[in-house]
Amino acid sequence: MVTSTAAKVKVDPRDAKLSMAHFFVAFSALALGGLMGLLQTLVRSGKWELPWGIDYYQILTVHGVLMGLVLTTFFIMGFQYAAVSRTTGGHSNAARRTGWIGFWVMLVGTLMAATMVLLKEASVLYTFYAPLKAHWIFYLGLTFVIVGSWIDGAAQIMTYARWRRNNPGKPSPLLSFMAVINTVMWIIATLGVAATVLFQLLPWSLGLVPTVNVLVSRTLFWYFGHPLVYFWLLPAYMCWYAIIPKIIGGKIFSDSLARLSFILFLLFSIPVGFHHQLTEPGIDPAWKFFQVILTFMVVIPSLMTAFSLFATFERYGRSKGARGLFGWFKVLPWGDARFIVPFIGMAAFIPAGAGGIINASNQMDQVVHNTIWITGHFHLTAATSVVLTFFGISYWLVPHLTGRKLTKAMNKLAIIQGWVWFIGMAFMSGAMHFQGLLGGPRRSAFSTYGGSEQAAEWIPYQIAQAVGGTILFLGIILVLIIFVNLAFFAPKGEEEFPVAEAENLEEKAPMVFENWKLWLGIAAALILFAYTIPFIDIIQNAPPGSKGFQTWSKW
Amino acid sequence: MAKTELNTKQKTEIDDRSSLKGTLASVFFLGIFIIVTWVSVYYLFVDRF
Repeated sequence: MVTSTAAKVKVDPRDAKLSMAHFFVAFSALALGGLMGLLQTLVRSGKWELPWGIDYYQILTVHGVLMGLVLTTFFIMGFQYAAVSRTTGGHSNAARRTGWIGFWVMLVGTLMAATMVLLKEASVLYTFYAPLKAHWIFYLGLTFVIVGSWIDGAAQIMTYARWRRNNPGKPSPLLSFMAVINTVMWIIATLGVAATVLFQLLPWSLGLVPTVNVLVSRTLFWYFGHPLVYFWLLPAYMCWYAIIPKIIGGKIFSDSLARLSFILFLLFSIPVGFHHQLTEPGIDPAWKFFQVILTFMVVIPSLMTAFSLFATFERYGRSKGARGLFGWFKVLPWGDARFIVPFIGMAAFIPAGAGGIINASNQMDQVVHNTIWITGHFHLTAATSVVLTFFGISYWLVPHLTGRKLTKAMNKLAIIQGWVWFIGMAFMSGAMHFQGLLGGPRRSAFSTYGGSEQAAEWIPYQIAQAVGGTILFLGIILVLIIFVNLAFFAPKGEEEFPVAEAENLEEKAPMVFENWKLWLGIAAALILFAYTIPFIDIIQNAPPGSKGFQTWSKW
Repeated sequence: MAKTELNTKQKTEIDDRSSLKGTLASVFFLGIFIIVTWVSVYYLFVDRF
């Protein structure tokens, strides 16, 4: 009974409008950013050059910022806003207004930053990379994106808080709880990047101060940069934990386990930024070691997630009469794009996670640091596990929000899209991993490095990356066709917003999971412990600051 | 009396529906995969540095 009524619960049309606004920006970013990615792989193949004086590092910046910041942040905010609306009964007018303000502030910021990149005033690559110096409007634009996301996130928190007030003593709906954990983690993490932009990069780019402390800037960036990847990943986990079980016709293995894993992500994904700076001089190795230990703590909730998903699938398969060790695998709904597209993402997380453990290990980081292995790694995590799940979500969420249906033809096209992505990424990311192990650098245009023998070994892998990049771009075209169809042309109807139930409804999630004072307190304590002493050390023993550099060609 | 009961060769039927042996095998596969990739790159490190 509960499920049949739940199936008809719709996101309030006023909330749907705001979610869709986010998705239009996200998918526009995908179109342009994806094209830039294709061009990058073509340039690196050595067979093609960019026309009209367009610079490789400019398109790299466009690709990184649009895919890593704009596509992800807009999609996540749009999805979480809809998920909170769906599971709490809708946003209030005040929350909705707040959401719209956040959306517009983010959009204005995006346009400011994009304009500066297109004018060749900000080819500072995805990680800002001080002492590379961009135009101040670029930094101000990105500040707006971050502040806008805080306002946008505040709308979700307001609605969650109202639900808690109206339902005292009850655990909040799982999807809302997860959305709020991710928003809170995002707010804590972005304090770091906001600090470097406001106190260092903006005054420096405006000419108010002559130099920048590079290590402080990088440390603040990576304080933000690692939880950023979990900010991308947790919405995918929301889908895997709380939506996929409903799509396959099963149940959530354990609601409490899901909540606990999200809390562990909140605690352990922030005080770990030093594992991106293992080769960086000027940070005491003891503190690097401590943060590496915390990094390995984050492996625990990911392994909990893997266990829980296997268990959900096996339970469902056995309930359908599957037998043997892996009989359950065969009965999963392989013809349903809403399942298989995110499933390819889940499968990709196995090599992606294994690669991540290698990156975070100090010695192995010496093998892969600043090589294109790392680029291959985050194209498995972010650009496969995360975005395939986002695509899978949009295949039912977009028609749900626009009052249309995912037709059989579109479902088939979506499945093809998932496999095209898989094949393209196997070529591209696979070649990147191997080239990285042979020492091929990341963040670099095509070069034979003065006819070096070692560099010649890399070229076949770069050609494989161009092949993979081309296949992936076809995948992006398919995604865009499906998105436009579902937003404007698919037949009118009702598409379900699937929300799964826990297997054991008697087992209520412990209320301690909603004790924000406790979790925020532990998170703050861990951050202060991991960062205070090394940060004082970095500032006190700083070398002279650096002036700005603009290494790229101007128009 | 108790002795005769012990001697019966009846096999206890385990309810296959609640079994999670596939999950156990899958997480073992996952763990082994992580260890193998980690050790491979570790040997690359030892070899090179």
